[in-house]
Amino acid sequence: MLVPLKGSWALIFGVSSGLGRATARALAAESCNVIGVHFDMADGQQAAEELAEELRERGVEAHFFNRNVAAAQTRAELVPLIKELSGVGPRIVLHSVAFGALVPFVPTESTPKSLTAKQMAMTLDVMAHSLVYWTQDLLAANLLPKGGKIYALTSSGSTRVLRSYGAVSAAKAALESHVRQLAVELAPYEIAVNAIRAGTTITPALLKIPKTPEVAERARAVNPHGRLTTPEDVAETIVLLSTTDSSWITGNVIGVDGGEAIVA
Amino acid sequence: MANIDKDELRLLVADVIELEPNEVSDTADFVSELEVDSLTMLEITMRLEKKYGIKVVEDELLEITSLNRVHKLVTAKLAAVS
Repeated sequence: MLVPLKGSWALIFGVSSGLGRATARALAAESCNVIGVHFDMADGQQAAEELAEELRERGVEAHFFNRNVAAAQTRAELVPLIKELSGVGPRIVLHSVAFGALVPFVPTESTPKSLTAKQMAMTLDVMAHSLVYWTQDLLAANLLPKGGKIYALTSSGSTRVLRSYGAVSAAKAALESHVRQLAVELAPYEIAVNAIRAGTTITPALLKIPKTPEVAERARAVNPHGRLTTPEDVAETIVLLSTTDSSWITGNVIGVDGGEAIVA
Repeated sequence: MANIDKDELRLLVADVIELEPNEVSDTADFVSELEVDSLTMLEITMRLEKKYGIKVVEDELLEITSLNRVHKLVTAKLAAVS
């Protein structure tokens, strides 16, 4: 049974940029309201406000909060607000957070700094564990309704090595494991939890990774569609998967990459 | 606007890093000596932006590596506006 998203709520971590932003737009186009969390300095804050205004012009509610999504204080502050705004809580939760240390484990001539324990812990906390803590707090506050969908964004970095990406790779591997664990634990609540493995997508986050042009060029060359994944490709998939109350697709890593990963 | 009080900045930074103010010396390097990671650097910057009504850009994040340098940046930004 397909369910319209009109009047539903989505909670997006990382709403101001890249995949989070594209998903906010795609959901607003389906008349889904958006609560967003982002962590930006002044310029980014302005862009986020403009996005919120753009969503409101489509006729949905958009409430953005400029806060550190990984901080316990943020959860304590926002969970009651989410309840106030949405009543039953978000039908869709999207974890689209890219903030980690892009530093090699071992120093090289060109990169003499190597990853510290603090950087490793921070990366794992922000990009993986935060999903668990948010789910715990939302569930405890009765803000994950039946039929809800939780999505975490992962990359091929969870099983492949990229230069300086080690801490993030570990975070993606942990994130995928958390998705499986949460999928099983939330099944009795009929809430589906999946990781979306987007193909190489040009976003501000990707541009922070060393050697992006080469990485992107290689991906574009192998992709059987002859182009890179766009944020809209991913956003459309999230909307699509959310239009059912069924939680039967759960605990997966779902590739949304036009076939990029399967080409030798 | 008058000179920004360095101790006021010290309190702010110490609060974000979760250290005692006396552990944040004028010259201690945030990253190498006080173990501040990039997320915390961003939090410090955003608190500064909010408190002093200034705007910091990404390149400047790399500059503010000690209390003295924070003081220099905030003072310069406020002088530019007034």
